[in-house]
Order: sequence, then C-alpha cells, then structure tokens
Amino acid sequence: MPYPALPPDYDGPAWVTCPNELYDPVLGHELYNRYIDELVLAEELGFDGVCINEHHQNAYGNMPSPNLIASILARQTERMKIAVVGSALPLYDPPTRVAEEFAMIDVISGGRLIAGFVVGGGPEYYSFSINPAEARERFAEAHDLILEAWTRPGPFEFSGKHYRIRYVNPWPRPIQQPHPEIWIPGVGSLETMEFVARRRYAYMGIPYFHFDTFCRTYDLFREACLREGYEADPLQIGFLAPIYVSDTDESARAEYEEHFWYFVKRLLPGIAISPPGYFSPRSLPNVLRGGPSFVTNVADWDGVISGRFAIVGSPETVAARLTEDIARLGAGNLLGLFQMGTLPADLTRQSLGLFAEQVMPKLRAEFGAVVSGTPRTPGQL
Amino acid sequence: MRAAVSRTDERLETPVGTIQLVRSGAGAPVVYLHSAGGETTNPPLEDLSADHAVYVPVFPGFGESEGLEQIDGMEDAVFHLLDVLDGLGLRSPAVIGLSLGGWMAAELATRAPERVGRLVLASPVGLRIEAAPVPDLFGRRPGELAEDLYADQSHPMAQMMHLLDDWVGDVTKMVDLPAGMLMPMVQSMAATAKLGWNPYLHNPKLPGRLRRITAPTLVVAGAADRFTPRAHAEAYAAGIAGARLAVIEGAGHMVPMERPEEFTAVVREFLAATGG
Repeated sequence: MPYPALPPDYDGPAWVTCPNELYDPVLGHELYNRYIDELVLAEELGFDGVCINEHHQNAYGNMPSPNLIASILARQTERMKIAVVGSALPLYDPPTRVAEEFAMIDVISGGRLIAGFVVGGGPEYYSFSINPAEARERFAEAHDLILEAWTRPGPFEFSGKHYRIRYVNPWPRPIQQPHPEIWIPGVGSLETMEFVARRRYAYMGIPYFHFDTFCRTYDLFREACLREGYEADPLQIGFLAPIYVSDTDESARAEYEEHFWYFVKRLLPGIAISPPGYFSPRSLPNVLRGGPSFVTNVADWDGVISGRFAIVGSPETVAARLTEDIARLGAGNLLGLFQMGTLPADLTRQSLGLFAEQVMPKLRAEFGAVVSGTPRTPGQL
Repeated sequence: MRAAVSRTDERLETPVGTIQLVRSGAGAPVVYLHSAGGETTNPPLEDLSADHAVYVPVFPGFGESEGLEQIDGMEDAVFHLLDVLDGLGLRSPAVIGLSLGGWMAAELATRAPERVGRLVLASPVGLRIEAAPVPDLFGRRPGELAEDLYADQSHPMAQMMHLLDDWVGDVTKMVDLPAGMLMPMVQSMAATAKLGWNPYLHNPKLPGRLRRITAPTLVVAGAADRFTPRAHAEAYAAGIAGARLAVIEGAGHMVPMERPEEFTAVVREFLAATGG
C-alpha cells in the first residue's frame, strides 16, 4: 500500500526517517479504501488468494499491521486465501500475540489464512530499536513458541532465552489443523532457506532483484531441501514479481513506466539499510552477491524488462514470459504485484482484469491451479 | 616517544571461547580495552609498552576472538573481562579504555572495583546526557561517521573511512568491498550492537554506580570531539570520586590516534602520579 504523493522536491529516504509530516491522512483514507477494494476485486476476478505484508514507518507501504487488513478481508471475501507474508516476529513481545491474531483471522475467515513469518526488514530494527544482533535468535524462538501455542494443548509454560511465559494457552486456536500453511520470504540468507527446508514450509523470494538472482536463490533452496532428504515441491516455491498487462506492449510501457520508476526511485531508497548483526557472517556473502542486481541499480527500461524486474506487456507477452519464468524457477505459486508506486486505480483494475481474463487461463492450463498472492495489492493466480 | 617493543599475537582460552590477545612489553600491567574499531594497538600503547606490560584482549566478535554468541549485553561483557583478568593472572592492573572500551572499563570498575588499579577513560560512551546526545553510530556511512570521530579529516583513519563510503551503508553495493575488509567490519558492528543497540550506547544505571569506583581515575576528552560531547567526560569525572579530567586540544573522539603524543603524556603523568 504505497504512498503515491511524496512531494517532488523530497529526495530523502522513504524509510525510517522520512518525515511523517509528508503523510496526508485524508489522502490516506482514500488510499486504504482503494487498496482494500483492489484486494477484494482479486477474488471476484478469480485469483486464488491475496498477499499482504508488514512494514513500519515508511512511505513504501503503509501497512504496519497487515492483520488489520487481513481481518477486513476475512469478512469482505469468501473464498480466496489471505496470505499475511508475514508477521515480523521479533517485533512482537510476547509473540503469542501473533499466534492469537493469526488464529483469529483463520477462524473468522473459515480457514483461509496463510501464515507468513518474517524477520522484519533492516529498517524496522531502527524504527523499533529491537536489537538486530538478536534478530535471528528471536525469530527462531518466536516461531517455536507460536507453533507450540497452536499445536500443544494449553496451558503450558514456555521458557526460552528471549521469551518466558508462565501460561501459554491462546484462545482461539486456528481452524486449520494442525496449523495454517506457513510461508517464509527471504532475500537469500542461507539460514532462512535451511529453516524453511527443514520444516517443509514454502519459501518465497523477495522481488526487485534480477531474475538470475531468483534462479540462484531457488536453486540454493532446492539444494537445502535435498540436504533434508527430499525434493522441493513446486508449491514450496513462490515467485513474486511486479506484473502489468495492457492491450499492447507499447501501451503497457506507456501506461506503467513512470509509476514503476516512482516506486524504484522514491519508495525504495532506504530499504536496503542493513543493521549490525542482521545477517550472519555465513549468509552475508550470498546476500551481497545479489546486491548489485537490486532494481535500484538498474539504469533503464530495457534493463527492467530483460532482468524481469517487472513483467510488462500485452496479455500474450506476459503469458509467454511468465510461462518461461515459472518453468525455469520451478515455482508452484505465482505472486503478482499488480499495483506499484503511483499506478492509479483505473490502470490497476484494467491490468488485473486483463490478467485474469487472458493470462491466468493460459497459466492454469500450463501449470494447473495453484494459489498465490501479492504484497500490497491484489494479484494472485 | 620511546622505542617500541615487539608485540605478540596470542590466544587466550576463556569461558565464552578462545580470544585474541595482543601483548607487548614488560613492567607494571596495563590492560587496554579497544573501541568499536577493534584496534589492537595505537601509538600511545606502543610507547607505554617500553616500560609496561600492555595487554590488549580483543573482545568477542572483534578480530579473531570467538564467543560473541555468549555475550548478550554489558553484564556478560563484565564477567568476560573478569575471566580475562583471571586468565592473565592480573589482580588489579591499570585499565585504559577508549570509547566503547572506556564504557566497558567503567562498568568493570563499578562492579568489581577491587580489580581495577588505575582507570583511564578516553572519550568514553556509556552515559546518556539529554542535552548532549551521542550521534548515531549504526547505519551511517563511514565518511559521515568520520566527521564525528576525527577533528582532522586528513588523518589516515578518517581518510580510510571516507574511502569506504562508496561501499558501506548500502547493502546492494557492499559486494564490491575488498575481501577481508568486510567481515571484520560487519562483525565488529554486530558485537557493538550486542552491547549498545538499545539502550543506545549507554547504561541508564551507570551514573548511579560511578560512586563505587575506587581506582584513581583519569578521564581524557578530545576538545573537538563531536561524537561524545565534552559533557560526557565531565559527567564521568564528576561522578567518580577524585577523578581528573584532561582535555586535549585539537583532538576529536579518537584521541589516542589523533593526538598520540599529548595522550601519552597525560596518561604517563597520571600513571606516574598514581604509582608508576
């Protein structure tokens, strides 16, 4: 849920220190309702689900609490999955709060929640002053606590290093048993891949990197699964990419390009801040290898298209590209980002409609029906 | 300056893991607690090693030292330092700490006053002073940080930080950093974060505990320090009974590096006046 109205003369970061005087709550009222409408539209158009995510104190996405949006969607939709990808576990103390809220959404929606867990972005460790050098430890421990809270009859005592709770006994419990499906996004940290592979959760790449970086990341994830003694199921791999569809390739670029660049040049600056201890010494080299392929380093539109930073074009072009890319990645979930930056409501709806009508059937025919979603706005397949 | 003696790079087993220990000279023992830069020597230490046994225990996470995963905060740091003193057989050495190391030295001296014979706090962090905030250390570009740490931007260390500016601070560009430079920097900052992320480079309890320090104490401040404004050194000096404050003209935060001769002179004078 990007903030599309940063003043033209503001050239600072969109994260952590972006002055909140720049936020207009009256415009915000329109935006929230518009973005929620777009998420609801996804169900009407036949998407299998939507994704929403959590970020704090920024203009990039005004969704500090995705659970609030998810609970609205739980009531305003009937069929599609609601993927919260995810809840930034180290920011919740105690993390049983996450177990409770996710269970509420799961129960209200009748079992449609996909539970995403994230470590939280680098900027969040500045915004919350949670110690980034403890981020991985807290994440792992909070995860264990939440899973235990969902699956072990309460009350019981949890005694960890960071969290100690005398009585763990959350009401409600999730409707999906033993617990909702779990997705975990990552930027290439080996620990995260191994964590996901070990538990047979789904791994989704974070977008805005060159396609080759995704290929390498998913190959590493598949290797991590093999080391656990099994072959990754395609449904364990989510491909998240900006998608825009118009009548022709030319009209697609003409309608979309400026909005994409607003996102890249105005809303991404500041996202890549990496607080101390946030990546382990073991994972850092792999994460850094992907760094130069981050979209903020892309010079021009040809680079955007050839690097698959966004899949943009006519329905034929988009279907062909996605068919090729999904096959290469072995992804079972396609998560389309259908709204980016300043892309207005009419174009977002037009693109969603064309995708649902002309691209989705081709992909379903090719790959079978699977769930997917998108942070911020609709788009799933 | 006197002739420097050779240094040896040793290993010391401690309960948290094996740490790196740089030792030089012989004589009355001096333990140096390094800054967040992880320095294992500097010109004043080389000078002191002419007639002192100088020990530089590298803190877990810095340099070659292991055991950071066992350190969760200042309390663990102090217990670790006590283990180091025990491991070296030092009953109550002179302890000199710079910046982060100064904070650790002060914490050690409040909790185990009998283990610190003399105390030198150089540009110590560790206090929060409402009217004189310590600027951000984490998440700033090295060049920007150099402006706060050095009075003279042409100092070789400041120059190096300006050179690093193109790489560090943006994770998407750090891959270009010369091999072998990145990891030590990343690890030092992680170790510093363990101690000083929140509360930010201070211990709210420390001001009330300074009265427990019994060692003769010298607080050294750089007159042009933009990282820890003068009020910090003044608060330490005021809180520790009998402490002396020395302000060194022309020095920024990294006093021993920027004004080595003046720093050495005040430290030697202090050590001589308090027992050699």
